[in-house]
Amino acid sequence: MRKWCVLLTLLVSLCPGLAGAADQPVTGGTLIWGRGGDSVSLDLAQATDGESIKAGIQIYENLVKFGDNSMDIEPQLATSWEVSEDGLTWTFHLRKGVTFHDGTPFNAQAVYDSFARVIDENHPFHSYGKWAYLSLSLGMVKEVKVVDDYTVQLVTKKPYAPLLNNLALWLCPIVSPKAMAEYKDQIGMHPVGTGPFKFVKWVKDDQIVLERNENYWGDKAKVDRIILKSIPEPSARLMALQSGTVDIADDLDPDSIALVKKDPNLEVIEKPSINIGYLALNTEKPALKDVRVRQAIAHAIDKDTLIKAIFQGLAIPAKNPFAPTIWGYNDEIQPYAYDPQKAKKLLEEAGFDFSTELELWAMPVSRAYMPEPVKTAELIQAYLAAVGMKAKIVRYDWGTYLKKTANGEHDMCMLGWLGGNADPDNFLYGLLSADTAVTPGAANVALWKNAEFTELVKQAQKIFDKEERAKLYKKAQEIFHREVPWVPLAHSTIVRCYNKKLHDVPLRPNGLNSFQMVWKEK
Amino acid sequence: MNRLELFTDLLRNRTAALGLCLIAGIVAVALAGPALAPYDPLVPAPLDRLQPPSAQHLFGTDSLGRDILSRVIHGSRLSLLIGIISVTISLVPGTVLGLLAGYFGDPLDSIIMRVMDVLLAFPAVLLAIFITAILGPSLPNTMIAVGIVYIPHYARIVRSNVLSLKQQLFVQAIRHLGGSHARVILLHILPNTFAPIIVYATLGMGTAVLQAAALGFLGLGAQPPQPEWGAMLSEGRQYIQMAPHVAGFPGLAILLLVLGFNLFGDGLRDVLDPSLRSR
Repeated sequence: MRKWCVLLTLLVSLCPGLAGAADQPVTGGTLIWGRGGDSVSLDLAQATDGESIKAGIQIYENLVKFGDNSMDIEPQLATSWEVSEDGLTWTFHLRKGVTFHDGTPFNAQAVYDSFARVIDENHPFHSYGKWAYLSLSLGMVKEVKVVDDYTVQLVTKKPYAPLLNNLALWLCPIVSPKAMAEYKDQIGMHPVGTGPFKFVKWVKDDQIVLERNENYWGDKAKVDRIILKSIPEPSARLMALQSGTVDIADDLDPDSIALVKKDPNLEVIEKPSINIGYLALNTEKPALKDVRVRQAIAHAIDKDTLIKAIFQGLAIPAKNPFAPTIWGYNDEIQPYAYDPQKAKKLLEEAGFDFSTELELWAMPVSRAYMPEPVKTAELIQAYLAAVGMKAKIVRYDWGTYLKKTANGEHDMCMLGWLGGNADPDNFLYGLLSADTAVTPGAANVALWKNAEFTELVKQAQKIFDKEERAKLYKKAQEIFHREVPWVPLAHSTIVRCYNKKLHDVPLRPNGLNSFQMVWKEK
Repeated sequence: MNRLELFTDLLRNRTAALGLCLIAGIVAVALAGPALAPYDPLVPAPLDRLQPPSAQHLFGTDSLGRDILSRVIHGSRLSLLIGIISVTISLVPGTVLGLLAGYFGDPLDSIIMRVMDVLLAFPAVLLAIFITAILGPSLPNTMIAVGIVYIPHYARIVRSNVLSLKQQLFVQAIRHLGGSHARVILLHILPNTFAPIIVYATLGMGTAVLQAAALGFLGLGAQPPQPEWGAMLSEGRQYIQMAPHVAGFPGLAILLLVLGFNLFGDGLRDVLDPSLRSR
């Protein structure tokens, strides 16, 4: 009898395993991920581009993280935290038993070194990097204190509500102190974190190879390896996906997505995004200084047609600097209507010199918020020509493009923002305040320095009540709308295209995910 | 051989005649240009994008709804211009260098020809990419780059011709009669190198157009929205699955022009080369 029981149990336990092979996660295999370009630096505290971030977040972890499919904050390397009464001191209790990929134990010292190198000029690692988007990461943190081995305190300069969201951003990774000391300013080429995948090798402009971290503290990654392959040509990426050469293809153009949807072997998941694609107008260039010229440009561009032609409808027109999926969006704002006549009139009023040829910088890579940058540029060029403005399309490779736009060398440049921490502060303070309009390394590439606007968004940072903050942000959006430092173009629908062999593929509204739980059918 | 004879020979040569027809056709299209093109090649009509060939748009429309026929027609001017200018850029300095090297001999010869050898050592496209990378991507720079790349070819051909001409009796005679170097080079040697140069230049036109198209394809040549054939081809490859005509027609245009120059050049060589005339 007992024998029978054992046999029966065995059979029962085996059957679902056999029948439901496709539903049961399996371990192993290599996930090949085709994307539009190479990473710039894998030290995420220095990274400003999506290609660096999407590779880096497989390797690194933060104190807190966003949910896999939402932007809600969850614990990661910190298990719990609390804020002091005065809103200035944040105490984090750290996870025990975590080690970095190089064997270094994770503790309060590691958090201290990872954060202090960014904000403390006297920290030995400070000079090893150019710390990106400080205002979106630790710029507001005055001091990092090691309380004991597993407790850390962050003291902010002012009460600063968005801090937790900032800590969840890629910009605040916890890096192995040993690796930082060893690789110095080359840490971006030799990333060492605590994440489910560890770095193996990087062949520039070709591929980055990551491998499962067998000593991971949580659920170990399902696939053995991730290979991120640079395939700059969208059509080549599509073909690679169709033929099964890659398992995931990023940033396909909307025409291709339609083809992927029809393919029985491929899967498409969609979500309203928190991103924005925009045309930044360099307010320091004499030709664009006059607000009427900038308003004229906003009137000259037909966003609805642009979205139909370029995004194939997979986007909504933008009127504010961030998407309606984020709280604090001001829906009362009336967008600048497509009106070439009015644009011409405004230009004439402003005394615009129609013989000036403005440079229109087009991104060399496609992004979710800008799937066809060169075509978008051609279209904008034609719209500007229709109101008498001459524009010359300028292109650089991605690294140079980012560097030069952050230096304010352009007249008009196309850029976008994947949405970062999903806090309005991220867009308004991070990309549009006077504090971030300082060259070199400006995140506010319009170099727009509006005192009233900056004051409002800084005020909002000190308020912990969401409703109250939203009021200030709505006012700030009115100023943005009036002054037109950008022509906001579109918020694209975020899409992930992959082979049906993959399962449990996550999609966060910002499109940045760890692929820890993704598994691949044999 | 007088000129008339040369011309009739050329027409009798089928290859040359066919090549000439192709070139003449494309030149005619280029000259007529705007009059022939049914639409403005630069103005997008985004809502009419990627339409297949139809009565309204014979070659269909591209991804921004521009008429491909009009773009191909306007592009013919660019391509011919590229051919003529880049060949001139390689021809003139190449010939001068070849004349000097061949006529004066060492050490000038060694210096010039070693520099030429260095240039020749690079694959043509690589060198052109290198030069455009330095000068910056634009159409004029493409012409300069393609021009520079082929200078050594002309220098070598001219030099080898000069070397043999220099030994010939009539050249020796003029020198002994007191003719200056300049007189000998310009009036007696140069005209005798014309035949091979013309053949090579004709063939070179095709190569230059193809090179420029390659640079345009790589995004280093003509900048958007210029309707350069190579750039159009490059743009079209994205839609190769859903709208093959976007790449197809510019590709066909490149093919026909390059074929024309190659056939004509081959025919010209057959006619001009005395060793092939002794049938």
